Amino acid sequence: MSEHNTETDERPGFAWDPEPEHAVGGAHFRAELNELYGHEQANRHLGALLTDLGERNLYDAAAQCNRCGYCETVCPTYMLTGRETLSGRGRNQFVRMLIEGHAKNTSDAAEALNTCLLCSACTSVCYAKVPTADIVLEGRRALTGYGDNFFARAAVNTLLNAPRLFAFWLKLAYLAKRTGLPRLAAKMGIYDFIGMPGLAEAEGGVDRVPLRFASEILRKDPELRPEGSKQPGWAYFAPCGPNFLFPEVSQATVSILKKASGPGIFADNQCCGLMAHNYGRLDDAREFARRNILRYEELKAAHGEFPVIADCASCAAFMKSYEQLFTGDAEWRPRAKAFAAAVKDILEFYPADKAEHGDKAALEKAGTVTYHDSCRACHGQGIRHEPRVVLQKLAGKQYKELPESDWCCGGAGAYAFTEVELSKKVLDRKLRNIASVQAGTVVVGGTSCLAQIGAGLRDAYPSARAVHYSVFIDETSPKN
Amino acid sequence: MFKRKDRISAIRKELEAIVGPENVRTEEAELLMYSYDSGMARARPEAVINFTSAAQVAPVVKMLYGAGVPFLPRLAGTNLSGGTIPLKGGAILNLARLKKIRQIDTAAGLALVEPGVVNLELQRALEPFGFFYAPDPASQKVSTIGGNIGENAGGPLCLKYGVTADNVEKLEVVTPEGEVKFFSYSDAGPDLMSVLIGSEGTLGIVIHAWLKILPLPAHIKTASAAFPSLDAAIRAVTRIISAGILPRALEAMDKVSLDAALTGKASPFPAGTDAVLILELDGDDPVRIKTDLETAHKICSDNGCEAFKVAADEDERALLWQARKGAYPAMARLAPDLLVEDGVVPRPKLPEALKETREIIAKYKLTAGLLFHAGDGNLHPNVIFDRRDIEEVKRVKKAGYEMLKSCIKLGGTISGEHGIGVEKRVAMNWLYGRGELAFFHSIKRAFDPAGLANPDKILPVAGEKPAAKPDLAGAFVFPGKSGLSPEARSIIDELRLRAASGTRTAVTGLGTRLRPERVTEGARPLDLKSLSGLLEIDRENLTARAEAGLSFEEFRRQLKAAGFHLDLPELKGSVGGLIASKVCPEIRGLLLGLEVATAAGELLELGGKTVKNVAGYDAVRLLCGSQGAYAVILSATFALSAGKERQRPPFAEPPAWDAFEPAEIHRRLKKEFDPQNLLNPWIYRGV
Repeated sequence: MSEHNTETDERPGFAWDPEPEHAVGGAHFRAELNELYGHEQANRHLGALLTDLGERNLYDAAAQCNRCGYCETVCPTYMLTGRETLSGRGRNQFVRMLIEGHAKNTSDAAEALNTCLLCSACTSVCYAKVPTADIVLEGRRALTGYGDNFFARAAVNTLLNAPRLFAFWLKLAYLAKRTGLPRLAAKMGIYDFIGMPGLAEAEGGVDRVPLRFASEILRKDPELRPEGSKQPGWAYFAPCGPNFLFPEVSQATVSILKKASGPGIFADNQCCGLMAHNYGRLDDAREFARRNILRYEELKAAHGEFPVIADCASCAAFMKSYEQLFTGDAEWRPRAKAFAAAVKDILEFYPADKAEHGDKAALEKAGTVTYHDSCRACHGQGIRHEPRVVLQKLAGKQYKELPESDWCCGGAGAYAFTEVELSKKVLDRKLRNIASVQAGTVVVGGTSCLAQIGAGLRDAYPSARAVHYSVFIDETSPKN
Repeated sequence: MFKRKDRISAIRKELEAIVGPENVRTEEAELLMYSYDSGMARARPEAVINFTSAAQVAPVVKMLYGAGVPFLPRLAGTNLSGGTIPLKGGAILNLARLKKIRQIDTAAGLALVEPGVVNLELQRALEPFGFFYAPDPASQKVSTIGGNIGENAGGPLCLKYGVTADNVEKLEVVTPEGEVKFFSYSDAGPDLMSVLIGSEGTLGIVIHAWLKILPLPAHIKTASAAFPSLDAAIRAVTRIISAGILPRALEAMDKVSLDAALTGKASPFPAGTDAVLILELDGDDPVRIKTDLETAHKICSDNGCEAFKVAADEDERALLWQARKGAYPAMARLAPDLLVEDGVVPRPKLPEALKETREIIAKYKLTAGLLFHAGDGNLHPNVIFDRRDIEEVKRVKKAGYEMLKSCIKLGGTISGEHGIGVEKRVAMNWLYGRGELAFFHSIKRAFDPAGLANPDKILPVAGEKPAAKPDLAGAFVFPGKSGLSPEARSIIDELRLRAASGTRTAVTGLGTRLRPERVTEGARPLDLKSLSGLLEIDRENLTARAEAGLSFEEFRRQLKAAGFHLDLPELKGSVGGLIASKVCPEIRGLLLGLEVATAAGELLELGGKTVKNVAGYDAVRLLCGSQGAYAVILSATFALSAGKERQRPPFAEPPAWDAFEPAEIHRRLKKEFDPQNLLNPWIYRGV
């Protein structure tokens, strides 16, 4: 086949030659092949991905998938549907076919790309560690018009430029719920306006919503003020989940950090940018990242080195990947890399030697304790061992390993609201596994999981509750 | 938009009524996602049909058959020869959700499963009961039982326990016309079950399989032996097998594969290691295992092994197997694409095959990791490349073909366990003559007269002749027919004469079983007693070729004198008669090749001298139980055992071995092979 031919390509049964006709010999296959997005949109894509095999452009990263199919043994959407289209391999192939022009319309990829949980279980089992989630996101960016729609733009802009206004709108929505009109807020479109349509459902799944956000509370804590601390052992980074939805998680994290690692500070940070990133608004995500990096550098200049502790696995994992946002930016790339190196998830940071057998009354209340591996912790950061050691010390024989503990809960950010049916099935399997060990407490490390599993348990298995790792440590540590 | 798409819309309503509207998919995205598999070929289907119950398969196939729409079954899509690529469009039948293990019966030693059950999932389910299912392809983590059956998968353990076809008891199959049939190797008449296994979805679709499960051996010992060269390692393999040791697995890997598989892990092997053997022994007798291990150790040391280490615990054993089974996927780190060759040679030819493979790799400037199921003579060179590099792809293809030719030249075959699919179709021309290919085509026609089941797979299509690819024509001459004895020639001449005159024949061996009153329809006896020439024993390969008229007892006596035996009970009659009557179905497991004459007097060479062979349909086993009506068996090649013969209880021959009423499929096969009903005509009276 010497000339690329649309008609023959689409003829059923026509065996097209997998070799792209315009590729020339040699190892380099650059962006001129890219039919996924126009050249003018290049800056709205990552372009280069930092993969396990080194820095790769999107095409090379997707082409690294040799279709062995091992990801299909762990991909939740494939395991539930048996459809290639909804598998890690399928998604990589789709993006590749879009780039090569074998798939003509980006919109055809909608189902394949939108149903991805971004859990990265595929990457964990992949020998080449093909970064499917990043590849899917690149595809989604082209698919969804780079988050250019009104709501996404409004939300990210408000959060970026007027975080207090964002908080105001959110409180308004929460108030509506508290006054006994729980659906009113959703109907008013406030959540849409602030770009968190997911929150409308999430707060539906949370039994009470906070009217004081974590950042407001922590700012008032004199012990956490940077001015007061000469040599902080840590800085707490408040991710949006704990901040806006679960301030008690933030408080617990700070409390256990103080006890285990001495004095620290509150970073008084911006959103990590993950939301903007996943919406397709890369420029905004970069701006969030730059502000957080600047804040970190400012604090570092004043106080010296310290780890940045986040208590939402998604957020921590994303900040660890900041460098990938700046691969084409010689100035910011090293700064992002330095920041990323300082980020630690509370799941890995909390020192196991500080854990001891828990408070009797608290453990009695907890019942059988089990641990759910949040995707962004186990697949995103490789954290599996550390929290288990701590939990086993705390709960002793009450700790039981959860079957398929790294099966995604289906929360996955806004996934539970955009892919309702699939998300339910994913969650259902998680709940069955929880029930199989007769757990009373399911410890999680991500706020999305906390909302999703929490709501699922309230519906289907009310004798168990989902508890954030920090909260569990704070509650069960022996009281002195 | 395209005329051929209308084929689906015309029957869409009916299909949807069977599987539900959401399970008949024709949208662009879905079609694209089923246009590839783990191989290199690509083609688009017209529809993807997802099944949620095994009972939906037959009605859907019937519908497609009626509408003349081609179809093929697909599961995990991990096959390496393009078997699941819809070359004529049509429908992909996605069976991936049929993944229930329906029954585990430890008393009967059977597991009843649906085709979508992942091999490793089955192993996990069996383990608590203390059982296992022997075929363990390296892809077992993802590949399914249905796919394993379709490709007749092997795996490391097949050295001792046989390939998939040896471990299946019975199949429930939807025929290409949409009928549900059951096939077992022990059915009266020809062994159609074994023909279906490895037929890559071209003869039918398996919807349930009864698999043989075995008790886990009481003792397993795994050892690794590090060698300074792959040649030395392969030499040791041949010696170990000849010493009468039958390991449960005997695998070899070279340094490239080893390095890839051990990425990020500390190598447990000494510096300078160029090849590693993994040797695993099992059994209920720990003393025997110990002495076998010592013998193997000594053989390895004699051949230059620098470190022979028995895994101390389960972790060390797991590490060895991770290295072996992870070697293929680990190559994915080195380059985006991978060609896994799958040639087989008689075991003693491995060093030669290895030398030629390395020369070919060097000649085409390629990088490859070499993996061997060394005990079976099965080579897997894993050639890495980037398919976007056209020049490189060309070199890879040429190299792949040359490797296959090299295997053929050394008396081997072109696929041991991965199948022919579309990617090795052309190589079938090099391995087989016109007669054999025509024989395969007639099998296909009998099962699938409309040619709708996975069309254009396995068998070369018109225009695919070696001559049409001058760049592939090597400088060597393909091996010709083996030397036939004058007696065999005269049988063939006689058959030709009889065919020309329409004379019917009653094929008789030593007259052990065929009762004279059965011989009717005016058939003239054709006595094969004269076919009792000298045994050809290949001592190193552990095979022997015997002519059909040789008495089995005499065959055994001669083997014993040479220091070998056949792992079969005491049997009476001629070699050919035992195969044709299938009184002891176990014989099929040792049968590697057959030379037969058709009713028209054409000589066919089926199978060969290798223990693994999935090139084309399993015509050898098809003739087991064919009762002389499909073809006249002239000679047979068997796998031998060395070492001590195990004690067996006396064999009770079934009294009604010929109680066989041909079904429609048997008659169709007969019509293809012997349209004039010349051979043993009373069996297919009125064909």
